[in-house]
Amino acid sequence: MISLDCDDLFDTWRQQARWLLSHSIDPSRVSWAGEREADLFASDESCPEQPGPFRARIPQALLELLQRAACYRGEQRWSLLYEVLWRVSHGDRTAMLSGDQLGSELQRRIKQVDREAHHLHAFVRFVRLPEGRSSLAEQPEYVAWHDPAHDILAPASRHFIGRMGRHRWMIATPRDGVYFDGEHLHHQRQCPTGWQQLAQAGDDPGGELWLAYYSHIFNPARLNPKVMQGHLPTRFWKHLPEGPLIPALISEARHGKQRDGQASAVAARRGKRIGSGQ
Amino acid sequence: MQLIDKLSILADAAKYDASCASSGAPKRSSEGSSGLGSSNGMGICHSYTPDGRCVSLLKVLLTNFCLYDCQYCVNRRSSDVPRARFSPEEVVRLTLDFYRRNCVSGLFLSSGIIRSADYTMEQLVQVARLLREEHEFRGYIHLKTIPDADPLLIEQAGRYADRLSVNVELPTDQGLKTLAPEKHLGSIKQAMRTIYTGEQTVLNEPRAPRFAPAGQSTQMIVGADDTDDSTILHSAEALYGNFRLRRVYYSAFSPIPNSPKSVPLAAPPLMREHRLYQADFLLRGYGFSANELFKGPGHLALDIDPKLAWALDNRSLFPLDLNRAEPALISRIPGIGLRTTQRLVELRRERRIRFEDLARMRCVLSKAKPFFITSDYHPQQAETSSALLYQQLRDRPQPQQMGLWG
Repeated sequence: MISLDCDDLFDTWRQQARWLLSHSIDPSRVSWAGEREADLFASDESCPEQPGPFRARIPQALLELLQRAACYRGEQRWSLLYEVLWRVSHGDRTAMLSGDQLGSELQRRIKQVDREAHHLHAFVRFVRLPEGRSSLAEQPEYVAWHDPAHDILAPASRHFIGRMGRHRWMIATPRDGVYFDGEHLHHQRQCPTGWQQLAQAGDDPGGELWLAYYSHIFNPARLNPKVMQGHLPTRFWKHLPEGPLIPALISEARHGKQRDGQASAVAARRGKRIGSGQ
Repeated sequence: MQLIDKLSILADAAKYDASCASSGAPKRSSEGSSGLGSSNGMGICHSYTPDGRCVSLLKVLLTNFCLYDCQYCVNRRSSDVPRARFSPEEVVRLTLDFYRRNCVSGLFLSSGIIRSADYTMEQLVQVARLLREEHEFRGYIHLKTIPDADPLLIEQAGRYADRLSVNVELPTDQGLKTLAPEKHLGSIKQAMRTIYTGEQTVLNEPRAPRFAPAGQSTQMIVGADDTDDSTILHSAEALYGNFRLRRVYYSAFSPIPNSPKSVPLAAPPLMREHRLYQADFLLRGYGFSANELFKGPGHLALDIDPKLAWALDNRSLFPLDLNRAEPALISRIPGIGLRTTQRLVELRRERRIRFEDLARMRCVLSKAKPFFITSDYHPQQAETSSALLYQQLRDRPQPQQMGLWG
């Protein structure tokens, strides 16, 4: 059994996998660090030093699939990729397709990763930072805290470069962090504590407008919390400013105060009929 | 009145419009430039409210003062609701603020009719112009179009907006006459034609200024009068055909405060709205025609989906051999969608399709099982009568406890 460590970096894994493949080393003889804690059968078989004779032809499409699936955090993160690579390079292209057992797991991971990138684009909430709050030479104007389930921050956060123009912004997570200084995107694999503190500072002047909008655009006569939870998983609620409003909105609607679509705060205001001759 | 109060009233007044899509816009980016916003054709749902609807755009009315008296509408002039009016600058400020917070991907602006159709339309265009020209905003803009407005104003709107929409509201002239006396199907369709013409003019002209690149959509209210599903879907089909509409939205009539006697007090079952969306998707995505889904006037069945209903009526076509059948026919099998069809076609280029492949692709096997053949499977139910299959496959309502407050 060969044990490898790629430090959860795709490029390192790719080098290792190319090496293994050139020696035709079967997937059952390899594991990557962190995948098995105490391996009973681990014998310190080492990796050959010279590249081997087998030259595999890898379709470009496969490389892209593997790179996307590599962002997935979970069991057998790297050995699954090697198994797919092994089968395709030995002529079995079904390993890439979701009809196949292995392929369907690969595709499922890609789907999870894409979904998580989409969650970042959707659920990040920037807060404007008051001037002079940070020791960074040029401090970010907008900061956000996010907790993604997969390693998507670095590639997926590029989305905000197009969106925010020349604004400087930062997204901190429990693991890594990104900072855009107006021209370049900087990724730190270990998010600096300073960034994390900035992103979690809490006060948000002007935030009440969004909360007012959220609670008034909701139609209580059509309450359907199950559908909401399917699209907006509960784990994101605590980081969203509107998250704390949700339970109260649901229970108010459920307890029969709402027979029509109007928000109760609007119903409490004085109305105005308009003369027809106007 | 404070901005937050206006926002509360004018968001509350805008919630009955179902449309919220922010997709279909061309690629735009603010990378390295002044201004704000991007779009890439994909919509983003930034939040969901507890009614299960997505929040993708800041959806507000410019004002809910209105000269019209449409019976189904909470903002009709005889309605006793609080009224407010934004200035164009206030809408711009809110849009940019929410956009920077990453709460929305753009603006969906509509309005009650004040003074005249032209004046109202001018105000809407003014907001879009400020956003695009003064603030270099590259996010999504959807403008509601006022049917009787000057075509020149509609053309201006098309320069700034990604999407324009004119609401049909009720698909028959009779319905409009009874419930929305100030509206006319003729002028609604005229406005749709103006937008359609604008889209066609810039088609294949890469240098022409853009015109509503995300197309036009409309909305029909379901259950405010007694129009049946067949009429609704046939008119949707005509709209898709005549004006190349991107979407028709169906909005189940939602009871409004101080409801007039001319409209029902209760909402139609939300399932009816759901079935209409399913049938609409069959028209847009699967190549069905409305005539295939209806044998005559009437509603869609609530207890089976329209694709299953169609398959049960056309048993002579089934079971289909997944290893041979045309993709367009495979996608007509209940429980097998466009994605699964595509995956099956990819897979069968490599090898024969087996029964377990379908289980892995997460299609709805219980619905699909009687209708297909694979190299290792032939349905036992192939000879079962449609009536019996219907009994086996229809949705049975879950027993529900009555609410304590009724």
